[in-house]
Amino acid sequence: MSPSLEVEGLRTEFGLRDRVLRVVDDVSFTVEPGQALAIVGESGSGKSVAMRSVMRLLPKTGRIAGGQARLGGTDLLALSERQMRKVRGRDIGMVFQNAMEALNPTLTLERQLTEHLKWHGICDHAEAKRRAVETLGDVGIPEPEKRIRTYPFQLSGGMRQRAMIAMAMVTQPSVLIADEPTTAVDVTVQRQLLDLLAELKARGTGIIMITHDLGVARYFCDDAMVMYAGRVVEHGPIRRLLSRPAHPYTTGLFESTLEVGARQRALLPIPGSPPDLAYRPTGCAFHPRCGRAEERCGREEQPLLPWPGHGEVDLLHAGAGPERNAERREVACWKAVEHG
Amino acid sequence: MVDVTVEHDDARTGADGAGGYLITADGVDKVFSTRAGDVHAVRDVSLSVRHGETLGLVGESGSGKSTMARLMMGLMPPTSGTITFDGVDLSAVHGREMRRLRARMQMVFQNPYGSLLPHYSVSANVAEPLRLHKRGDKESRRKRAIELLTMVGVNPRFADHYPRQFSGGQQQRVAIARALALEPKLLMCDEPTSSLDVSIQAQVLALLDELRTSLGLTLVFISHNLAVVERFADRVAVMCLGQVVEIAPTEVLFDSPRHPYTQQLLAAVLPVTKDPLPAPATPWQPRAEVLPLREVAPGHFVREA
Repeated sequence: MSPSLEVEGLRTEFGLRDRVLRVVDDVSFTVEPGQALAIVGESGSGKSVAMRSVMRLLPKTGRIAGGQARLGGTDLLALSERQMRKVRGRDIGMVFQNAMEALNPTLTLERQLTEHLKWHGICDHAEAKRRAVETLGDVGIPEPEKRIRTYPFQLSGGMRQRAMIAMAMVTQPSVLIADEPTTAVDVTVQRQLLDLLAELKARGTGIIMITHDLGVARYFCDDAMVMYAGRVVEHGPIRRLLSRPAHPYTTGLFESTLEVGARQRALLPIPGSPPDLAYRPTGCAFHPRCGRAEERCGREEQPLLPWPGHGEVDLLHAGAGPERNAERREVACWKAVEHG
Repeated sequence: MVDVTVEHDDARTGADGAGGYLITADGVDKVFSTRAGDVHAVRDVSLSVRHGETLGLVGESGSGKSTMARLMMGLMPPTSGTITFDGVDLSAVHGREMRRLRARMQMVFQNPYGSLLPHYSVSANVAEPLRLHKRGDKESRRKRAIELLTMVGVNPRFADHYPRQFSGGQQQRVAIARALALEPKLLMCDEPTSSLDVSIQAQVLALLDELRTSLGLTLVFISHNLAVVERFADRVAVMCLGQVVEIAPTEVLFDSPRHPYTQQLLAAVLPVTKDPLPAPATPWQPRAEVLPLREVAPGHFVREA
């Protein structure tokens, strides 16, 4: 059984010339084996930085200022870079949005897929190649024995994305972080890629999917965490979050999303734009755009708290998901929308 | 109102071109010759857009929808077939005449930052088409640019800021203001909201919706996002491998798609409030030959599969 990833109180800061920006502020979540967590938010919400912090792949100006990320008893944030290298790619993998940028254009798929198997000392080259071919076949690349000799540019966009997923899958990591893995591909390919990741999930890998697409989150994930300006504003089972969003920002995201076959649903954009973190609004960062905001929202922020209280049973989806989900929902807003 | 008069060629505007259509593509083919051989990007496409109508053009990458946009804008000539704008065959006009036509068809691109001039302030960007078309003087152009910026929801206080100082959504508003500067009849929108965040996407769509009503614009709206097209278009054409496989009024296309490719595309959509449709067991494989497009109901054309 793979271990779960438990992130607690993660804080990441970026040093600018004259000040420090807190880009990820007190983010906590758990991903259990075989579960998928969606991290939803707009650009600049800190979702990618949070995941790069867990992977310890921050640029030089970034710094983890606090928190823990425990994977099977090890705190990833406390490891040295040398120790982290042994974990990265083996226990925790990552898939990026743009395979053309993430794959090395000068190396064949064979070199790229066998590299970490050999580097981590998992097996020798012959075995690594056998596994690489098998994984390429698993991700639906035709003629994998032949394709393993090709370079990334010789593959179509969808095939490249598959090759990158294969690269992350080949070591069978406990946790996979997928940063917008289907944003750059066509819709018909998107579903195939998600179904591929679902197989990995069924084999016990915990998956964190960074996405701005609520449809993808609903199709693939069990839980969702909504981020705004570096903080978590709502966290809970995805279906409940979508059927009854509680935080005004979650509601706004939902109402801004168009959906096929819902012509009658009003399109209600959220006014304004996400804040520049250098000028983070006081109190709740969302209050300047929030229709429910009142005077105190500009002064103080409600921390993320269980909502509407422990033990709420979701009648709509009772029995639809694992029981553990039914109890857990957190919202950071005093004006959270009550659903009758 | 600022004195920037728009010259209309009354002889042509008065007559509605071919039976109420502003722009018509008839049997259009486009072949690009590359070192790797010929690429048949658009095959036998016939489309027409009525005055005041919004035509949605959907398809996956490589389906030829952006090539079609450029052909319809007269930015490149078709290999065969004709494009008619307001009754004028685009292949028959050149120079001054073409320039005059271009003022009446404008385009909004996917990447607003890439389409704005980075070293011009946003007001200069918006005024640029007026300058190129010699409308008004410097002062009146600037005044008009500020009016346009206000109309699209950009605070005129920032008129002298540069594009990079704006967010993606604001940049797209500026690009829309520039497209509207010459008071065009046709607005060609190629993935206008695809690079924007969800909440901003909704704002820009709401703006385009408001503008097309208040200004009586004719729109061609290209997108790979079916939900956006469903909401926005009056009629939808589905493109696949350079061909239009189905064209119908929006509701008809979404409620009863007939072509297997359209069905496949709709089944691939992942809805937010309900479970997705079952994926077809065997994906549709396009055939090499060009099969005929048949009218199955009034205004609903389906290519044989």
